Amino acid sequence: MTPATDTHCPYCALQCAMTLTASAREPVMAAAATATAGAMDASDGASIAPVTVAGRDFPTNRGGLCKKGWTSAELLRRPGRIEQPLLRGADGELHETDWDTALDVVVAGIRRTQERYGPDAVGVFGGGGLTNEKAYLLGKFARIALGTSRIDYNGRFCMASAAAAGTRAFGIDRGLPFPLSDLDGAATVLLLGTNVAETMPPFVGHLAGAQAAGGLIVVDPRRTPTARLTDDGQGLHLQPAPGTDLLLLLGLTHVVLAEGLADEAYLANRTMGVDALRRSVAAWWPERVQSETGVAALTIRRVARRLAAGARTEPGTGGTYILTGRGVEQHVDGTDTATAAINLALVLGLPGRLGSGYGTLTGQGNGQGGREHGQKADQLPGYRKITDPAAREHVAGVWGVPAASIPGPGIPAVELLQSLGRPDGVRTLLVHGSNVVVSAPNASVVRRGLAELDLLVVCDFFLSETAALADVVLPVCQWAEEEGTMTSLEGRVIRRRRAIDPPAGVRDELWILHELARRLDAPSTFPTDPDTAFEELRLASEGGLADYSGVDYALLDSGAEVYWPYPRGSAGTPRLFADRFAHADGRARLVAVTPRPSAERPARGESNGLTLITGRLLEHYQSGAQTRRVPELADAQPDSRLRLHPATAARLGLADGDRVEVVNARGAARARVLVTRDIRPDTAFLPFHYPGDETANLVTSDAVDPVSSMPEFKTSAVRVRRLEPQEAR
Amino acid sequence: MRVVLVGYGPVGSRFVDELLPVVRAGLASLTVIGTETADAYNRVLVAEHAVGSVGLDSMTVADRAAAEEAGVDLRTGVSVRRIDRGAHEVVLDTGERVAYDRLVLATGARANTPTLDGIERSRRDLASLERYPAELVASDDRLPQGVTALRDLDDAARVREAVRGRKRVIVLGAGVLGLEIALAAAHAGAQVCVVHHGAHPMPRNLDRGGGGVLRQALRRTGVTVIAHSRAEAIAFRTEADGSRAFDMLVTADGKQLKGDLLVLSCGVTPRAELATLAGLRTSTGVVVDRGLRSWSDPDVFAIGDCAHVVERTEETIGRRDLPGGPSGLIGPGWRQAAWLAARWTDELEGRAAHDHEGRELASIGMAPEADPIVMLKAEHIDVVAVGEVAPEPWDDDPAPGDPGARRVAQWADPEHLRYVKMVTRGGVLSGFVSVGMPRTAAELTLLFERRAELPADRSMLLRFDGPDYDPSEDADAFAPTSTVCWCNAVTVERIEESAACGNDTVECVGRDTRAGTGCGGCKGRIADVLARFAETGGAAASPVG
Repeated sequence: MTPATDTHCPYCALQCAMTLTASAREPVMAAAATATAGAMDASDGASIAPVTVAGRDFPTNRGGLCKKGWTSAELLRRPGRIEQPLLRGADGELHETDWDTALDVVVAGIRRTQERYGPDAVGVFGGGGLTNEKAYLLGKFARIALGTSRIDYNGRFCMASAAAAGTRAFGIDRGLPFPLSDLDGAATVLLLGTNVAETMPPFVGHLAGAQAAGGLIVVDPRRTPTARLTDDGQGLHLQPAPGTDLLLLLGLTHVVLAEGLADEAYLANRTMGVDALRRSVAAWWPERVQSETGVAALTIRRVARRLAAGARTEPGTGGTYILTGRGVEQHVDGTDTATAAINLALVLGLPGRLGSGYGTLTGQGNGQGGREHGQKADQLPGYRKITDPAAREHVAGVWGVPAASIPGPGIPAVELLQSLGRPDGVRTLLVHGSNVVVSAPNASVVRRGLAELDLLVVCDFFLSETAALADVVLPVCQWAEEEGTMTSLEGRVIRRRRAIDPPAGVRDELWILHELARRLDAPSTFPTDPDTAFEELRLASEGGLADYSGVDYALLDSGAEVYWPYPRGSAGTPRLFADRFAHADGRARLVAVTPRPSAERPARGESNGLTLITGRLLEHYQSGAQTRRVPELADAQPDSRLRLHPATAARLGLADGDRVEVVNARGAARARVLVTRDIRPDTAFLPFHYPGDETANLVTSDAVDPVSSMPEFKTSAVRVRRLEPQEAR
Repeated sequence: MRVVLVGYGPVGSRFVDELLPVVRAGLASLTVIGTETADAYNRVLVAEHAVGSVGLDSMTVADRAAAEEAGVDLRTGVSVRRIDRGAHEVVLDTGERVAYDRLVLATGARANTPTLDGIERSRRDLASLERYPAELVASDDRLPQGVTALRDLDDAARVREAVRGRKRVIVLGAGVLGLEIALAAAHAGAQVCVVHHGAHPMPRNLDRGGGGVLRQALRRTGVTVIAHSRAEAIAFRTEADGSRAFDMLVTADGKQLKGDLLVLSCGVTPRAELATLAGLRTSTGVVVDRGLRSWSDPDVFAIGDCAHVVERTEETIGRRDLPGGPSGLIGPGWRQAAWLAARWTDELEGRAAHDHEGRELASIGMAPEADPIVMLKAEHIDVVAVGEVAPEPWDDDPAPGDPGARRVAQWADPEHLRYVKMVTRGGVLSGFVSVGMPRTAAELTLLFERRAELPADRSMLLRFDGPDYDPSEDADAFAPTSTVCWCNAVTVERIEESAACGNDTVECVGRDTRAGTGCGGCKGRIADVLARFAETGGAAASPVG
């Protein structure tokens, strides 16, 4: 009997704790590797999971799991799992090959591209699902094995705006600067643009206190399951027009300042910039905000007062939290909107106050750690700036290379993808843990760019839509087959543990990077063992903002609660900002932000014009590359459904189930209509989990925020056209 | 380019902010002359400031330090006495002259002084201005003690004193500003009486129905409303110190209304006297074209409350009385400030901006403003109105036909202080009134702003304010397809199936269906479903296979 393995869920940033136990039919770990065919249930052709999943008690999920977590093991031995490297042959098809051949092709391609176009013609696109060890070594590999500055990752579509705003205001970016369980004691929680009830369901348990106190306030153009948590007097749902969140926040801040609800002592002692902030919000009185957002002035006043009430309680009791999500961040003014939320929190004196605070909810499994250790175009491990000479010296010292050999800052994700195949752009691309043809904005441009590449290499465990376009596909381990660490949404470092062996032909990404680096005659070392990689990460991060130097596997395995920054000799930092912020003078920055006329809006008088927002479903994760392969999840949400209000559907002559095309100048995405009252009549919603002609990102814009380079996912002007029966597939 | 701006109110200061980059870059010099000594503040909030609910620092919109740092010559507490167009100079009350290449007037508006026996009222025609420039230019009428307008911080201080003393305040005029101060003062504890000569409050903005409901609402908040009364005179009393102060307002129909403070809220008039004296064309305000340039002088511009924008055409040039007038609202003023500064920035930086049809913005001017939306800012009464509101439901033939025809839909419940009228053309709002329906009003505002078509069933908009507005409630909590566990998307049906298979506890159901194994928040509802299932003896809401 295999002992149970304690690990965490492969999906979102909540990283629910789970225990994996080898299934009865596969009692021997090694057997799984050799007998994949035996993992198929002969009776119905469906796979059986080689391990069983059980929720494990942990402060974040308290033993709970959502549907995605419960079914996560289904994927370990699914048909369609890639178990040998694949190489595109002269016939244009992918064929199985051996590792040496595949790696040699990759290295030859890299060399060819670099000789002809220079080092920056090879790009690396990473993911927020990679372990800290992989993210760290991927950044190192790009910088010193490839010598390229062109590395960025899909976190740019996810956390970039909140990260930029957090860094600007606090001098540091940790999603939640407090343990998640602190929320339990709050009487008021303001959730802006986040649908936790579907994206990370066990999170909802931490809102019970605020619900009981009638203080859960949800801002969303849709009446999501999260918004419904406010029903029956448990709180308030504000339903502003898409793209107007910034104005709503300015209005709330206006009321707090105008009505004397601000924490003036806190502003005087712990912040800078309140005068400019006062002036900037003086122009946004509630009635004016009402006319832009559709949220009643009276509601704005009520919410501001409620938030302030929590800020005036004894620290630690009945406090107020303000939390943002992608709904308010994935805009061309996303950084400013997150900043406006932070400003509101600061005028109320929330950050650093026990039992109150501001935070942003990280999305991807290791979205937090993934942005700390060198996958970002402008950063080195430990959240260091790549332009900072001292940071370069430090990291170069750890790597044993001259600082001058580390390239400078690269370009952010959208720009990198736009450059694909261009003469001065990226011509060979390595993709790790991302499915860009589905998840990147303005997807048709990305598809064209990938087709233009000289070489596309994708590491994945299934033939994702992006992998299907690759020249070389390298099969890698899934979560239950590998060791490593992840950093969850609360800045807690946790252990991912191996429960079973991977299939025989599958390799760990650390091994792949090691082999490629060796073939490229790269300097320094590329450890294949996660523990050794983490030891190096510790040193590289030491002294940086995200300092992991005091953490090691033994500490993590002891069950200690480990929150970064965790400098050597310290006990870590569950709560940031109690005494000071991370700027040199210890003060937070209030940055006055003003709305720009940016949001794409349907043309005036355009009778069919709607604003399309995109988002997630409970059953699916990210591009759906994994969850669409789990029968139970796929059966529940088999295809893309366009949510429309009944009044809108009636106006457009559409009925539930009709096949339609959502169209604008960038492209068209197909879907079936789902009529629901849970959305504003001027708004339509598409989930972005679907591939092919159902790809929602075919109509989203690749315009980006000027600070964070976060693309605009949430306010696409679209028209809806019914597909005639002969047009439908 | 030397720019002189006269007026440092909210519109003037916005113009300064917008022009800062070119000033900082040395492409333009900017001198600002402002009569008020306080930094520009948001006048919209003066009523709230007057009752002490908003502090001055929350109203200030100007960043004086940034302007001065950028090199702006900012002079407050100084007035312009005269414009010397020939010399391209303005003459200050200190005698100093400041030269300009372009002059921007942002002098705003002053409160009207009504014709009342007992109050002196200045004429500001050309003859009077030429005779008494020092008294009439850049100064307001002197009002007797106990009488005030509500326009600036001094006015606000007078009102605040009366409100603090819980005095009796009479507000003359029932426009938006009059009602705002009446409601704010009443809320702060003063005894308030509103006197007006129309049939209902806000006559310029509301129809009869909306006005009637508003009057009712005002009375319920404790504000006395005296309609149909034309004020004729004020009488004075002698205070202990021998000074004369306001005692009562006398109306044409013989009412004598005693009070401690009379607040005049009878509209505003643009401060156009500098333009008048300088021989520039004025009408309701300084007449400018859509490029905000004076009809009479290409180097003089006007923005904000003093600017009367009229498109200059063959037809309008010939007219004595020009149509329209300043809106008196801050939004259009800010847009003018930003637009003008942007055009000058384009010009100074050597480029031109164009509209979507490729026409140069500077030459075609600003697009005309849409009808302004009027909102009463008050704590307990919600009034929003815009556009054409007078038509009644039966005025037009409501039979289907012309799709662009005018249609009126109305909801009135005076007892509960609720009223909505929506006037549409081709399904798009051309006007609406909403009283006592805040969420409906918010949606209508947005629909009007965006020129979006209303839902065919207009009552959908009313439901936002219904106490039953809860889309979840029309779903039966025990309907088979209702979701119980959101974490795992488990329905009532699925739980009943499980119960039918013998899973009769929350834990058993959890093991079978995963319901309740996420956040655990639905365990109570699972128990309810099980209890109901047990009660009905296993007769599930849906057939169990």
